[in-house]
Amino acid sequence: MTAYLVAIATLVGIRALVTLGLNVQWGLTGLVNLGAVAFFGVGAYTAALLAVSGVPLAAAWPAAIVLASGAGAALAMVALRLREDYLAIVTLGFGEVLRLFLLNETWLTRGANGVTGIPRPLHARFAGHYDLFYLALVLVSVALVYLALERVRRSPFGRVLRAIREDEVVAAVAGKPVFRFKVQAFALGAGVAGLAGILFAHYLAYIEPNMFLPQESLFVWLALILGGSGNNRGALLGSVALLGLLEGSRFLKDVIPFLTGVRLAAVQQMLVGLVLVVLMIRRPEGLLPEKPGAD
Amino acid sequence: MPPIAQYVWNGVVTGGILALPAVAFSLLWQLLRFPNFAVSTYLTVGAYVAFVLNQGLRVPIGWSWLGALVGTAAVALAVDRIAFRPMRDRRPFSLAIASIGVAFVLENVVRFIWSNDFRSYDVPVTRAMEVAGLRIGRDQLLILGVAVVLMMLAQTFLRRTRLGIAMRATADNASLAAVKGIPTERVIAVATLGGGALAGGAGVFLGLDASIDPLMGGGLIISVFAAAILGGIGSAPGALGGAVIVGIVEEVGTLVVPPTYKTAIGFVIILMVLLVRPTGLAGGRT
Repeated sequence: MTAYLVAIATLVGIRALVTLGLNVQWGLTGLVNLGAVAFFGVGAYTAALLAVSGVPLAAAWPAAIVLASGAGAALAMVALRLREDYLAIVTLGFGEVLRLFLLNETWLTRGANGVTGIPRPLHARFAGHYDLFYLALVLVSVALVYLALERVRRSPFGRVLRAIREDEVVAAVAGKPVFRFKVQAFALGAGVAGLAGILFAHYLAYIEPNMFLPQESLFVWLALILGGSGNNRGALLGSVALLGLLEGSRFLKDVIPFLTGVRLAAVQQMLVGLVLVVLMIRRPEGLLPEKPGAD
Repeated sequence: MPPIAQYVWNGVVTGGILALPAVAFSLLWQLLRFPNFAVSTYLTVGAYVAFVLNQGLRVPIGWSWLGALVGTAAVALAVDRIAFRPMRDRRPFSLAIASIGVAFVLENVVRFIWSNDFRSYDVPVTRAMEVAGLRIGRDQLLILGVAVVLMMLAQTFLRRTRLGIAMRATADNASLAAVKGIPTERVIAVATLGGGALAGGAGVFLGLDASIDPLMGGGLIISVFAAAILGGIGSAPGALGGAVIVGIVEEVGTLVVPPTYKTAIGFVIILMVLLVRPTGLAGGRT
């Protein structure tokens, strides 16, 4: 049971990082990203492939973050040229295409077999209670990213992002280079998702393309909207609440006998979609609303 | 190996099918100001409505197709009333996210009832015709013919009828149109019904041309967007042209890249349009 709780907590921590990343993009800046899982995947695969080919982690990890962040910046630059709506489509498409790429480009990504034998950092040192060590590593990462993003949110940079979200014409009239700020915000969020991917890959020691399905991006959205977008504490709370929803619905199987595996998955996803729509209509500010005008 | 012309022909048929949801998507975007991700899932809805009629109730495929038009239109209207109407004054992105949630719910209702199995309609098997070395299926001809007629009807409706003109006025400037006495909600309801019917009909065509499964519509989302963006958002003829081009490029492209990359081709088209001509082929306005 403890092992189960530790594993769940580790995965929630990793998902919380992706949610914090999305909060920079959507919560602070109002930019949509329907491919959050793709930037997570870029981080995971870059770190994993570099690590298994012998590159030291001190070089592999920054490379993974830079690549995830760079992909975010490039997509934002293409999509935001004309109208913002295109960002929704371009990020969605990127998520789909990345998965096809991971499946098909076997020479680079090892295809459907996935990447095995990803080294687990400091494994020898913490042998015996490695999972606890890793949980601590994830939680420290979440705490550091949270504190950093809180600083960003309150900084002049963060205030411009929030101004853009509220009314970008006003922000532009005030002399802010709106396009550049948007691209930077998007890159920052993608980089945080990339960091989450790194932690994910080294935690499981094995990754394969189907871990990065498009529906995972929707889960991240639900976590953010549920918790309260624009609010980093909300992003954390939402990740925990989402876990409750996903793990809780798993027990439906014990109650309803005719639920096959496919049907259970369908019910889970239906629930996620439904809660997302209802929240969007009824309570778009989430459980922990962003305080208006604060700092 | 079949000649390139065969791929082009198959692409034209795919394009004819794609054109229907592309037009629906494009016009609804122009009217409601958000990309409605549920549109491509309406194809799945239509395909399964016809499947129930055709395989469950033994209704001939033609009548099942009409049933799919009506059924999908009704689903689209219900979705609009329940999910989108309460959010009319929100930021477009919020609606886009909600539409993804809707697509997810619809897709999984289908999966819950019929599982992930591939299914097909009960239709008489016809031999494909050989014309100048090309294999041309009779149902392919029928699909293309009906798709073209539907597109012409849509265009005539938009250009010639009072309601169609009202719809274009609302799409252009909703508040000005409302001041002039155009009932905004009625215009939206008609557009939603029409868009749902077009997408639902296309779903049956797709089921005839390929097969029926819960992901059939959602999997086309990128291609539908590519067609709509290539044609220029808000332009019905543009969406038709864009769809045919996307259909042909995707089919012919499988000569160069593995067929699994079809979605990627649509994605590359989107990026190219955004980089080279972001207003689309037909569009001048943004």
